[in-house]
Amino acid sequence: MTDSNYPASEIPMIDSMRPTRPAAKARVNGTKLFSWIIFLMGLIYFFLPLIATFEFSLRMVKDTYSFEAYRVAFSEPRFYREFGYSLLWAALTITFSLLLIVPTAYWVHYRLQRVRPVVEFITLMPFVVPAVVLVFGFLRLYGRYYFIVSTPLLLIAGYVVLSLPYMFRAVDAGLRAIDVRTLTEAAQSLGAGWGTILFKVIFPNLRVAILSGVFLTLAIVMGEFTFAALLVHPAFGPYLEEIGAMRAYTPQALSVVSFLLTWASIGVVQRIGRGAPGQAQIAGAR
Amino acid sequence: MAFLEIRNVSKVFGKDTYAVKDFDLSVEKGEFVAFLGPSGCGKTTTLRMVAGFELPTTGSIIIDGEDVTFKPPNQRNVGMVFQAYALFPNMTVANNIGFGLKIAKRPEEEIRQRVNEMLKLIHMPEFGDRYPFQLSGGQQQRVALARALAMSPRILLLDEPLSALDAKIRVSLRSEIRAIQQELGITTIYVTHDQEEALSISDRVVVMNVGSMEQVGTPFEIYNFPATEFVAQFVGTLNSYQAEVVDPRNSILRVDGQHLITSQDLSEFKPGDQVTIAIRPERLSFAEQERKANLIDCTIENITFLGSIVRIEVQVGDKSFHMDTFNNPYLELPKIGDKAEITCSREAVLILKDSRHR
Repeated sequence: MTDSNYPASEIPMIDSMRPTRPAAKARVNGTKLFSWIIFLMGLIYFFLPLIATFEFSLRMVKDTYSFEAYRVAFSEPRFYREFGYSLLWAALTITFSLLLIVPTAYWVHYRLQRVRPVVEFITLMPFVVPAVVLVFGFLRLYGRYYFIVSTPLLLIAGYVVLSLPYMFRAVDAGLRAIDVRTLTEAAQSLGAGWGTILFKVIFPNLRVAILSGVFLTLAIVMGEFTFAALLVHPAFGPYLEEIGAMRAYTPQALSVVSFLLTWASIGVVQRIGRGAPGQAQIAGAR
Repeated sequence: MAFLEIRNVSKVFGKDTYAVKDFDLSVEKGEFVAFLGPSGCGKTTTLRMVAGFELPTTGSIIIDGEDVTFKPPNQRNVGMVFQAYALFPNMTVANNIGFGLKIAKRPEEEIRQRVNEMLKLIHMPEFGDRYPFQLSGGQQQRVALARALAMSPRILLLDEPLSALDAKIRVSLRSEIRAIQQELGITTIYVTHDQEEALSISDRVVVMNVGSMEQVGTPFEIYNFPATEFVAQFVGTLNSYQAEVVDPRNSILRVDGQHLITSQDLSEFKPGDQVTIAIRPERLSFAEQERKANLIDCTIENITFLGSIVRIEVQVGDKSFHMDTFNNPYLELPKIGDKAEITCSREAVLILKDSRHR
């Protein structure tokens, strides 16, 4: 704060306390420099392995850089089959997750606030229980039922459990950003039934949150290995593992493609979120 | 039968926590009634029971002869305006207003006309295509009002609709709400903790405290003839003191050695009984301007200039009285420490009901 109306000699105390201009500028510049250093270190830490992977994936043809590894990867019929299966499992997982989690999260917010800590704890369990243990638990409980083990039911159920923390957190964050109770009651006072309330009022305001959960679930399912391998279902995760054991360059190419797919998904979520009117700012006081 | 009857309604949370106790009120068609009280007094809970968002533990709610006590909120045809506006963020202003009509499957043309009508009513005809986040707080609340009225509800409920707005907007918007209500003749319940709001726009005011009704009356009655100490303290400012009954037949009391005459009947008391009396600051004046029934010797303690009002604090014995007088630049006010004589009429000395004890 400068005090240019008063000559420095008349306010000796303030003057002595006030930092000199060169010293203040040096401090600000120092802080900026430190921030840039930390940022660059983070950038290097994250991107250096990726760059190395990408560079390695271009070296399939000796003494030259080429996209041969990518061509080989994309020309494998198994790639498309396994990828297609994982997409199918992801679609089913997302569907069941949404049907389970969105109404549950909504009801917890609307009527069962006290139960929320319990629900949150349950959704964190997949972080604690290893996937291997989960698979063996499933097989122990349901292994005797042929109609369950002969279908991908257990696989989808496992994926729903794995995606639980991400989907619930995403939807929960979306619900926290809107005044669920008041919006519901406003809709009820205007004659709306539950279907209208959920599909015309609540879900449209959760679009970004739901999409975040959807893409996170997609990323988890596409890369998942343990469930698919132990339950012996075709999927992209085991395929990547197999390719990695047999080849050098193609797995790196597939890793780079996975990263690009993930970033593209995040970009889509950001784009949709920016384009949605009123999503960034919710009307009404709280 | 009144248009809205809230009959002996109580709401209990848990085992014995009474949020509302024996609330009994009849509201005529077209009447504007305010529920006034401090936070936690049960006014919003009562409103929510009328809306259908809370079930009464006992009692019943009748609207236009129909018992709606157990009817869900979406079947009561009751419009509600919330404190948090509750506009649907994903819909335009026009779609917000037309929401109820779409649910009722009204024809598109009728919806469009009604929406335009409502936009005109709230003086926002050009705002149909905007989204709630593009509106100010006052505009959002107007749209919320229009949305509630679009369905021509039987009753309009407003739950502290102005408390999220700044003071100037509150004053202008409350007048607008009242004007619209009078134009449409819609029965209205308005919940507020702001006494100025309640007194300025209501036909009747229900003052509530700790789940119970303290008094029901017109704003004039509530302010000038408070039935209980709580109402007297909550509505307006007040001088209240313990007084001794001296002569019940002639309605004479004693406060700190000085006698006061009241117009209220003291025949149920005997000499020596203690009662609580209340005198509004604006009912006191300097005796040199006009002598009334009661004359009180005092010493000037403090003078505060508040613009149109001058607030004077005087000492009577060991008690302080507050006196409000209109600012008059040609009136010479006494100085601090001066002795003075203040006066008030018999009618100004109120006996507070729930303080009556022997």
